[in-house]
Amino acid sequence: MFVSVPDRHLSRERDPAALIALAALAERTRPVAASRTRLLPVAPALADLLPDGALRRGSTLTVGGPGDDGALSTALALVAAASGTGVWCALVGHPGLGAVAAGDLGVDLGRLALLPRPGPAWAEATAVVLEGVDLVVLCPPFPPRRDMARRLVARTRERRAVLVVVPGRAGWPEPPDLRLRISDVAWEGAAGGEGHLRRRRLTVTATGRRSAARPTRRVLWLPDADGTVTPAGCAGTGG
Amino acid sequence: MDRLLVVRCPALLSEDEGGAVLRTFAEVLTAVEAYCPWVTPVRPGICSLPARGPARYFGGEEALVDLVHEAASGVTPAEVGIADGLFAAVLAARHGVVVPAGGTPAFLAPLPVGILGQPDLAELLDRLGVRSLGEFAALPDADILGRFGADGAHGHRVAGGRSGELADLRQPHIARLLDTDDSPDTPEVTEPGFWGGVSDTDARAARCLAVAQELLGPDGVVTAHLQGGRSPAEQSRLVTWNTGGRPGGTTGGTRPAPPPVAPWPGRIPPPAPAVVHPDPVRADLADTRGEPVRVSARGLLTSSPDRLSVEGGPWEPLSGWAGPWPADERWWSRSRRRAARLQVVTARSAHLLLAERGRWWVEATYG
Repeated sequence: MFVSVPDRHLSRERDPAALIALAALAERTRPVAASRTRLLPVAPALADLLPDGALRRGSTLTVGGPGDDGALSTALALVAAASGTGVWCALVGHPGLGAVAAGDLGVDLGRLALLPRPGPAWAEATAVVLEGVDLVVLCPPFPPRRDMARRLVARTRERRAVLVVVPGRAGWPEPPDLRLRISDVAWEGAAGGEGHLRRRRLTVTATGRRSAARPTRRVLWLPDADGTVTPAGCAGTGG
Repeated sequence: MDRLLVVRCPALLSEDEGGAVLRTFAEVLTAVEAYCPWVTPVRPGICSLPARGPARYFGGEEALVDLVHEAASGVTPAEVGIADGLFAAVLAARHGVVVPAGGTPAFLAPLPVGILGQPDLAELLDRLGVRSLGEFAALPDADILGRFGADGAHGHRVAGGRSGELADLRQPHIARLLDTDDSPDTPEVTEPGFWGGVSDTDARAARCLAVAQELLGPDGVVTAHLQGGRSPAEQSRLVTWNTGGRPGGTTGGTRPAPPPVAPWPGRIPPPAPAVVHPDPVRADLADTRGEPVRVSARGLLTSSPDRLSVEGGPWEPLSGWAGPWPADERWWSRSRRRAARLQVVTARSAHLLLAERGRWWVEATYG
């Protein structure tokens, strides 16, 4: 793992682990306006799933599963931490975001633009939004053509944004930099009329390219009882 | 574009001083709400509801129009129509017609350009010999923006049935005007973050969102504001994204912290659902014998739910359920009614259901 460190005197430090920690700290505390560094922070529970422990600018991720259960929540959880540091987010193509849930996950609703029904112009609208918004969650309303998807991936790289695609039924024809698959979804709390939905356990498996080619698996509470995302035990123990 | 049913009450189109118009309008909303809990007031005398779900319940759009017309006419004379998008649906109501799905451009084509409510544009078009919306829509896109400006370009998309509504069709704060009950005032989040604390990031985002708005229409880019409320839908409000305060013109400083949202009586306990359906989604709930499950007069279920069907789809067995929670009347409604919310879990999803007048709707999904 290599993290770019802009300050020269820092690179003279000996301990690489300390360097990385410093870089991560700098990333978190950096003023918003100057935030053109390579990585965007994620919630600690999700960091292990990402090759850099953070969202890498210019990359495209997909989030999906056998059903759609949990995909939107996971996508929102991914962008929440960066949103909390003042980075702008947009949600394109999802007509019914539960704003309370998004807020509970840590998404700053004041810096979240919603394009709920872009219709046939969805790809163009996404391209426009990528010009100035650093985190874009896209739920394609129609099956994307390969060239459309490719263009959006290229635009994401060029603008140093992060594109999180929730393919849903429409699909996504381009291989992403990182694929998150959701499985083993189970709700806790509601049984036979007693109680209420308390929290959801799900397993997220991340598969990427190159260094991240080996799948990483984490069991999460998403949402946990307070609406946030937290780890639910070690890899492989869920099920 | 949304398939919308619009109720237009000619006698209630402008407010009066005593508030009688708004009170009557609130009664209309309550009457219409009997057929669909997703009624949205647009401006005094005009409300809309998504037509798709309710039409499935009531045996087609024509049947729905008849039922809603009868309900609203019990309060005040009303016109009802259905079309794609709010602009066309209001006109459909004025003509009392159901414009078939996809037929909106043809329905709009013969109408005069003046109907867009932009006198300057209409005059200019008239001089060019363009008199109907159809002729206007036929002008090539490429010529529009340069010649007629952003408003003209949006009018052009509305005329061609490609965009749903004009910017000033909705009266802002109409919901608050109608809010006659005594619920505690919760402070509203006022545009946090947009322009408080101006940064390069904010300015870049503002520029590209303004372009997106030109592409999709003013209602194409929105933000969510939290507010008090019992149901997931009531707890947030979508507001058209507004470039009103330009980056240079703001006072800067720190962004206001979002006000705490007070605990709301009758609220479903957290966590909140990630998906709140903007259109009513029809649901059927049955017990082990296949009998429909209802909510009794005491707010209890008539039997234990066993399976769920969404939008008339296949039955899915429930792995868990919780509730019901009594749902109080909606804010504009005076009449008490028996409504309840229920959480259900299937193998694929968990939903929040709303029961009202013997019908079940999927209000939200824990997606």
